Amino acid sequence: MYSTRCEKTTNNTRRCKLKILEHMDSRPSSRFIRYFVGLTTLCLGGWLAGQIAKTDSVGLALTVEQPQSPQTGEVIGTPSPRNANYSIDVRLDPGRRTLTGRETVTWRNIANIATKQLQFHLYYNAWKNTQSTWMRERLLGRGNRLHGRTEDAWGWIEITAVRLLSEDPVAPVNLTQEVRYISPDDGNLDDQTVLAIDLPNQVEPGETVTLEIEWASRIPKTFARTGAIGDYFFIAQWFPKIGVLEDTGWNCHQFHASTEFFSDYGVYDVRITVPQGWTVGATGAENGRADNDDGTTTHSYHQEDVHDFAWVTSPDLIDLWDHFTHPDLPDVAIRLLIQPEHVTQASRYFEATRKTLQYYGEWFGAYPYGHVTVVDPAWQSGSGGMEYPTFFTGGTRWLAPNDVATPEAVTVHEAGHQFWYGAVGNNEFEHAWLDEGLTTFATARVLEESFNPQFRAIRFFGGFVPWVVKDIPWSRTIDGDRVTGYRRNARQDPQSTPTFQYWPGTAGSITYDKTALWLHTLERHLGWETLRRGMSAFYEEWRFAHPEPADFFRAISDASEQDLSWFFDQAHGEASTFDYGIDHFTSRQINRRGLFGEGQPSFEETSDAGMFETTVVVRRYGDGTFPVDILTEFQDGSEVRETWEGTGHWKAFTYVRDAKATRAFVDPDRVLLLDTQATNNSQTTTPMGERAAKKWSLTWLVWLQDLLLTYGFFI
Amino acid sequence: MASLAPRPSVDIRVLHLTNALIDGIRRVAKAPTLVVGVYMVTLLTTIPLGIVIYEAIATDLGNSTAADTAVSSVNWEWWEEFQSQATGIKRTFNPRILGFAAVLSNQSNFIDNRLPSKEIVLTAGVYLGIWIFLVGGIIDRLARQRRTASAGFFAVCGTFFFRFVRLGLLAGTAYWILFNLVHNWLFDVVYVAATENLVVERSALLIRMALYIVFGLFLLPVNLVFDYAKIRAIVEDRHSMIGAVLAAFRFVRRHPKGTFGLYLLNCGLFLAIVVLYALVAPTPGTLGSSVSLSFAIGQAYLVARLVSKLVFLSSQTAFFQSQLAHADYVASPTPVWPDSPAAEAIGLAQK
Repeated sequence: MYSTRCEKTTNNTRRCKLKILEHMDSRPSSRFIRYFVGLTTLCLGGWLAGQIAKTDSVGLALTVEQPQSPQTGEVIGTPSPRNANYSIDVRLDPGRRTLTGRETVTWRNIANIATKQLQFHLYYNAWKNTQSTWMRERLLGRGNRLHGRTEDAWGWIEITAVRLLSEDPVAPVNLTQEVRYISPDDGNLDDQTVLAIDLPNQVEPGETVTLEIEWASRIPKTFARTGAIGDYFFIAQWFPKIGVLEDTGWNCHQFHASTEFFSDYGVYDVRITVPQGWTVGATGAENGRADNDDGTTTHSYHQEDVHDFAWVTSPDLIDLWDHFTHPDLPDVAIRLLIQPEHVTQASRYFEATRKTLQYYGEWFGAYPYGHVTVVDPAWQSGSGGMEYPTFFTGGTRWLAPNDVATPEAVTVHEAGHQFWYGAVGNNEFEHAWLDEGLTTFATARVLEESFNPQFRAIRFFGGFVPWVVKDIPWSRTIDGDRVTGYRRNARQDPQSTPTFQYWPGTAGSITYDKTALWLHTLERHLGWETLRRGMSAFYEEWRFAHPEPADFFRAISDASEQDLSWFFDQAHGEASTFDYGIDHFTSRQINRRGLFGEGQPSFEETSDAGMFETTVVVRRYGDGTFPVDILTEFQDGSEVRETWEGTGHWKAFTYVRDAKATRAFVDPDRVLLLDTQATNNSQTTTPMGERAAKKWSLTWLVWLQDLLLTYGFFI
Repeated sequence: MASLAPRPSVDIRVLHLTNALIDGIRRVAKAPTLVVGVYMVTLLTTIPLGIVIYEAIATDLGNSTAADTAVSSVNWEWWEEFQSQATGIKRTFNPRILGFAAVLSNQSNFIDNRLPSKEIVLTAGVYLGIWIFLVGGIIDRLARQRRTASAGFFAVCGTFFFRFVRLGLLAGTAYWILFNLVHNWLFDVVYVAATENLVVERSALLIRMALYIVFGLFLLPVNLVFDYAKIRAIVEDRHSMIGAVLAAFRFVRRHPKGTFGLYLLNCGLFLAIVVLYALVAPTPGTLGSSVSLSFAIGQAYLVARLVSKLVFLSSQTAFFQSQLAHADYVASPTPVWPDSPAAEAIGLAQK
């Protein structure tokens, strides 16, 4: 209730105030509100805690026991040619983010031609400035995303000395002045990623030459999965690496935005000096560690029969071990270097690595090394999802639901690269599909075998908070083979185009996705066992060697005992698209109308009661051809399956039966996965499209209404 | 006119903010027509675009047997194919619309200042325009706490529409500054600088959450002031919207605990509704072909949100009315029946 109290003011007016006399008895309703608020907070907190608990509910199944067998870095089985051997000493200065290194390269000419020049990759110079070939291609493909790069974020490598060593007691020959940058791919004079060193004498086939090279480099803030952030250093493509001399000359490409690497096999002995207390992981096995007087530690690594060497160091990494055992495959020690915030996901990394070693070993051949190191990359390091011999990076999130294959998918993929890329050393500059495509295909297979069912997560609030969509299980074809990417770039360059010449931004679709799809098509067309036999034969034949695409095609054709060139010419040699569809589908009671009879035909109009004429027209909408089945189903449960070689533009099938047709399919078993328009592969006489449209448009409507209410916040 | 006559049951007492919330709920409960009305507006505004999506899906599926699976569950092969070739508004038909993901998606895009497609923006503009028209009648109805009939309701709507358009321009300017300047500074400058060399994702998440709260501390007072500006404009029959904003600012400044506390209580109610929906939200996959049930649950959630919005307005109105000072305090001309609820209330109180 109010009361009014008035008083006179100085100018003789009255000012009145309303005085509040009573308050509502607030105890019962305020108590209710308190309970309500408390209950709501509890529910919200419980739900949030549940989400976090779910993501961390994989127990800390750690094992810190030492590996069962001592790691030596030796290879299992027949060694590689070992024609490019490195002994490297490198020192990291984390404060200035620099490397100082010296290497002794012992190179043997295994080609059939002599050479008076050696060519080396200096990959770090790709990130020296925007004028390198890598940068120009990256900016062309992705636009200018370098505006945030400060001066200290770029990288470079500079050769400070080159000496030719000799076994004879002759002083080393100083070749420092004989070096020059070359640009064999595009003539870009600003690109400094290939170094040519002219020798005083030719190196004949079979001869060996030894060089000592000193260099200094600046580690960039991560480009292309190598670089540094904070105290995390992922060091890849960091040393002068000799190219590959083939019978046609040097194969030493400039560094391109869309490609990876290519080099010969050899033995690596590397000594890495880092601050004391920092964890180091690398290609190979650690065979020594020595503390130095200057507060650093030198870690020694040895690995035989690999074609690259990468390493990581950080004071934050946690070092864990596990192992892989199999009755028919060699044991493998698995080392995991994991970020502290992800340590509860260690068992997921180990399990994914084990499954890869198991299935790849059973399908293709044994992993040739006795150990592998898995690195869980630091957040924002950009170094995740990359492979190096016996060493690879995975990647996960702090909130990583158990029923979403993160980190499993990337771990299986990169572990799989130990086979396709590591053991079988294809030229990634020119035929990246030979490792990326085979690995993508096999990864999808492993995931389907081992980590099913799994779902997708959509991430919100800056990408941090996951929501698992349980209605959409992971699909090997769509998600594993990545059909979306292929569809987007199906008409870009033929896969046979050298990878470094693909249009920027399309290499992923053409190398990963398209290859996985045509391999999966072959699996369905030939049968898995035939394809597997072919891939296994390819693995065994080209282990520690450099295959060409024709070698792979031959292996598959031999296993299938068929000439598959008609398929490979289209899938690999052209940018053909495949699309078969049901263009016309009717099933009507037979009506006869017109003039019938001999002599003087008479006009008749009759219908054959109970008889139906069904017409199915299959059309080829794409330019690629593939034999396809056509399946027609009838109301009485019968069906007819026919095969069409698929080379024409269309083919009609007609059936006269006493049952009406219900459905017609082209490629009913979805053999041709390169046919990316699956919706037109079938038709039915009782379509449910409108009913489905109603369901989904109403679902969409709820989303839109919620969105409008959200913006109603402003009113 | 008799139906507009005052009734003696109006009770203007100082309300503790919790009781303001309860009173707000009570007022909304006694005005079911308002709830039905705003729900129909929300539904009808979305139907044109809903038809567009319906036609697009029906055309894409055609006579394909892909529809058979799409009816009973999720046909991901077809959906992915549809998505990859969709343009314009059809691109919004993606898995983010499923169940509670829809709510998360909208809240996330809102707080991350991601504008939707132009078709959605246009629809939202129409929707907000309708609300600008209706909010005058809504607040008036809630303030009077009795039926005003459609004539009275729309009379107030018409009276205040252009005033609220002017108020909307002021509010739009303030929100533009918040979302384009303040938000960009917080998340494109501060957040980036704070996380540039961060290697721990958990820390980055906490920083982002903190910045969301900081942004909220900017947003909340602005929203609060404009809420009370609308209320003061209606209750005190103000013609100047700048005056209404200044008066609202003064009111909030004089009653910080009450206004902010009540706002947070209302936010709690909203969160409770969202959490409840998170627990029960169906998806077409889980409910199979039961379109009706799935749609009904979604609509029930939306009705609850609309009720929550009305409770926001009504509880704030109730709180403001309970804090009315002496009759001479109002800036408008001496209230004469039946000009405003204030006149009516004060007149009754003085009897």
